[in-house]
Amino acid sequence: MESTREIYWNIGHGVVAPMYLFALVAFGLFARGFWQRFPVYRQGKPLSRLDRLPERLLLMIRGMLTQSKVVRVVDPGSLHALFFWGFGLLFIGTLLVMAQADFTDLFFHYRFLTGGFYKLFSLVLDMAGLVALLMLGGLLVRRFLVKPEGLETIRDDYVVHGLLFAILLTGFVVEGLRMAATEIGVNPSLARFSPVGGMFGQLFVGMSSDDLSLTHKFLWWLHFFLVMSFIAAIPYTKLRHIFTTSANYLFIDLGPKGALATINLEDESAEQFGAAHISDLTWKDLFDADACTACKRCQDRCPAWATDKPLSPMKVVQQIGEVARATPKANLCETVTQDVLWSCTTCRACQEICPANIEHVNKILEMRRNLTLMEGAFPGDEVRTAINNLEVNANPFGLAYAGRGDWTDGLDVTIMEQDSAVDILYFVGCYASFDKRNREVARNFIRICAAAGIKVGILGKEEKCCGEPARKLGNEYLYQMHAAENIETIKGYNVKRIVTTCPHCFNTLARDYRDLGLDVGVEHYSTFVANLLTEQTLKLRPEPFEFTYHDSCYIGRYRDIMDEPRNVLRQAGGRITEMEKSRYESFCCSAGGGRILAEEKLGSRINIARAHMARETGAPLLVSNCPFCLTMFEDGIKTGGCEGELVVRDLAEIVAERITT
Amino acid sequence: MKILVCIKQVPDLESRFKPNTAGTWYDEADLAFRMNEYDEYAVEQAVQLREQVGDTAELAVLSIGPDRVVEAIKKALAMGCDNAVHVQDLQAATRDPWQIAGIIAAFARDKGFDLIFTGMQSQDRGSAQVGVTVAELLGLACATTLVGFSFDNGTITAKRELEGGVKGVVKLSTPALVTCQLGLNIPRYPTLPNIMKAKKKEITVIPVAEILKEEALATTEKFYPPAKKGGGMVLEGDMGDLVDKVIGILKEKTAVLR
Ligand code: SF4
Ligand code: SF4
Repeated sequence: MESTREIYWNIGHGVVAPMYLFALVAFGLFARGFWQRFPVYRQGKPLSRLDRLPERLLLMIRGMLTQSKVVRVVDPGSLHALFFWGFGLLFIGTLLVMAQADFTDLFFHYRFLTGGFYKLFSLVLDMAGLVALLMLGGLLVRRFLVKPEGLETIRDDYVVHGLLFAILLTGFVVEGLRMAATEIGVNPSLARFSPVGGMFGQLFVGMSSDDLSLTHKFLWWLHFFLVMSFIAAIPYTKLRHIFTTSANYLFIDLGPKGALATINLEDESAEQFGAAHISDLTWKDLFDADACTACKRCQDRCPAWATDKPLSPMKVVQQIGEVARATPKANLCETVTQDVLWSCTTCRACQEICPANIEHVNKILEMRRNLTLMEGAFPGDEVRTAINNLEVNANPFGLAYAGRGDWTDGLDVTIMEQDSAVDILYFVGCYASFDKRNREVARNFIRICAAAGIKVGILGKEEKCCGEPARKLGNEYLYQMHAAENIETIKGYNVKRIVTTCPHCFNTLARDYRDLGLDVGVEHYSTFVANLLTEQTLKLRPEPFEFTYHDSCYIGRYRDIMDEPRNVLRQAGGRITEMEKSRYESFCCSAGGGRILAEEKLGSRINIARAHMARETGAPLLVSNCPFCLTMFEDGIKTGGCEGELVVRDLAEIVAERITT
Repeated sequence: MKILVCIKQVPDLESRFKPNTAGTWYDEADLAFRMNEYDEYAVEQAVQLREQVGDTAELAVLSIGPDRVVEAIKKALAMGCDNAVHVQDLQAATRDPWQIAGIIAAFARDKGFDLIFTGMQSQDRGSAQVGVTVAELLGLACATTLVGFSFDNGTITAKRELEGGVKGVVKLSTPALVTCQLGLNIPRYPTLPNIMKAKKKEITVIPVAEILKEEALATTEKFYPPAKKGGGMVLEGDMGDLVDKVIGILKEKTAVLR
């Protein structure tokens, strides 16, 4: 017997015309739905996100097909991916049926759904349907029975899950009805290739042929209308993410991670700085709200949310969308609220995990810019004082700028003003310059360099704060003031290579200063020391120790430097026990985003939460490589009751103790 | 309504002070300068009044000193002053309060200011005399150490901080001069558009020789750091003995038990 099936069996070719008419209506509604959203996006400022198009297209296709960002969270990401692949195959299968029945067969009498290919086609689609149905079942259970904390279920979720479930089920029933009449018992060798359809078919064996025909007709149409409703519903429900999230893969930010637009302060026509209204954001910021799937992965990882602060990155993104659609004149910062905006540590955990390529951090920073530059607002009086200190003495402590190089007492460090022929310029930063605990780190870094025979220069009292905390608090003016002075000084000495011990200085000098004209190689000491060890310019005498390592946000997530510091510590004799949240999933110390200058008044303390995570590993030692982290953990260990169980030390201290000459 | 606010640029108190070579004042090398804290309250209050009165008001800011004081002037302009006067004077730091007050009075005499704001004192010299002397020279009503201010129809209601934390409320009518104390307000942080606008505001420069007619009444003879205090004492031993020792020391070295 022939291995194929009659398309439009029991339905007849007469349905083609009405069917396409209904399809036209569905696609019309689909197009209208998206069309109506364009004016919403157009309220935003222009931004080029279609340059390097081939690269973008490739990223989009790869991202969609592999579902790589979705499966990073295995549960429920893999359910979604399997569902997507299953449903995708069903979609392709339907297209093939359409292509044969209404095109190749109709016009050329050519049928390809026959023989071996048809068997494969049947089997693949049957399995795809089963997988899709099972995965959908899993997702249903998760959303409606397990109800993970923070997952918000809205009308859309009922519509979407209901539609998809009904489509898959009616698909199998229609198939089963057809098989009961045409394959089961008639062509068993073919029926084998539709095992699931066959199981449904068994239910109808013995039904009178009139009943069967009628039921089949009815369900065929039902299935058809369900599919059309699905298509029409896409732009009006969360289903829109099929297109918007995919489009966001195309609109990905291809620039360096963490780059923030440098405001042109010379532009005298500018009247608005930062984002007060929807129209101050870019179209991409508004589009992001539509690309959000409300998966809450960002919220789950937000250190502010985890410590009972009012900030949820997901909600911020959604609020922007709501304002853009419903109240475009509303003040964004008032809608989102200052407490929310100031709570962000710019840790980037949200952005890193987001399966929809949404850019949370810069939205928050643009709103902060409005608060700071347009309203002169601060998260608290202590920040006002720190900013004043920065203005006067170029450090947040308000200590005499002339004492910036005092930490070098007794060490062999060259002051650039006196001699600029050095191997590296060490950009010390405020904490290593003035903070007692962090001065130890600077001193140990110098010892390491001395052992490796590297001549180190510092700017001393000519060095200013790199400007990062101020910038992340929205104060672009103060940032650029200090940046310009630093750049001029550094350029004056014809520096070739800069090393920092602070990840914030590192990111700022290496990336942000480029916009302002500094073009010198900048390194963080964790990779610098790793290289010294590889080159064997530096030799260590390993001493065994147990430790856990904290990936600082600005070295880890922002710079992808994760293995080097671990390798250095291993070479020093360390045995690591990782914290549950490490590497890209690391949990902020609380001090990023300028929060180092602010008191943490809302919710519980982030640094204590992190100290507890370190304690849980059982390792007696927490190693970090950021002055802010070190400061926060020294405090977190004390106030979090971990004294005696855990100490925090900097990577430079561990290395310096093990130098051999 | 014409308002004047007088400000001084002073070294940040955290700076490292060293006597200058003459030993009569501090050396300016390595010092960070800023607007005198009390003057910031004065500027803020003046700007608030300017906003309250509206466009019929004009607020000028005045500062005396070398070119570096323009930084402080710019900040005041960015906070909301309309225009500025810079009395250029390289010797400003060594002048006594009488001369400084004389300069201000000479400038303000024929300008018809309804209200003059100054800080309660400067953070470096701390004489607290300039404001009151200007009031005296110009024959203005005066209230000092303001921690509260309101203005209504030519009448100022001023809350003053008196000794021992006591507060007093006085009313005075314009023209008047008030000096401002910590607690009066929280000085605003200039917004970026205002910083940009301030760059275009007019700063009139007057060489000090043109308006300084007074001789100094007091000269600064010597500037030196306080002698290092003796180290603390650590007493050890039996409780009873310790008490006796402490009483002995208190009798001998202090007036507490006499
Ligand atoms: S950057 Fe970090 S703190 Fe800020 S919203 Fe994202 S996850 Fe939360
Ligand atoms: S912003 Fe991204 S991670 Fe957060 S809920 Fe939306 S899609 Fe998920």
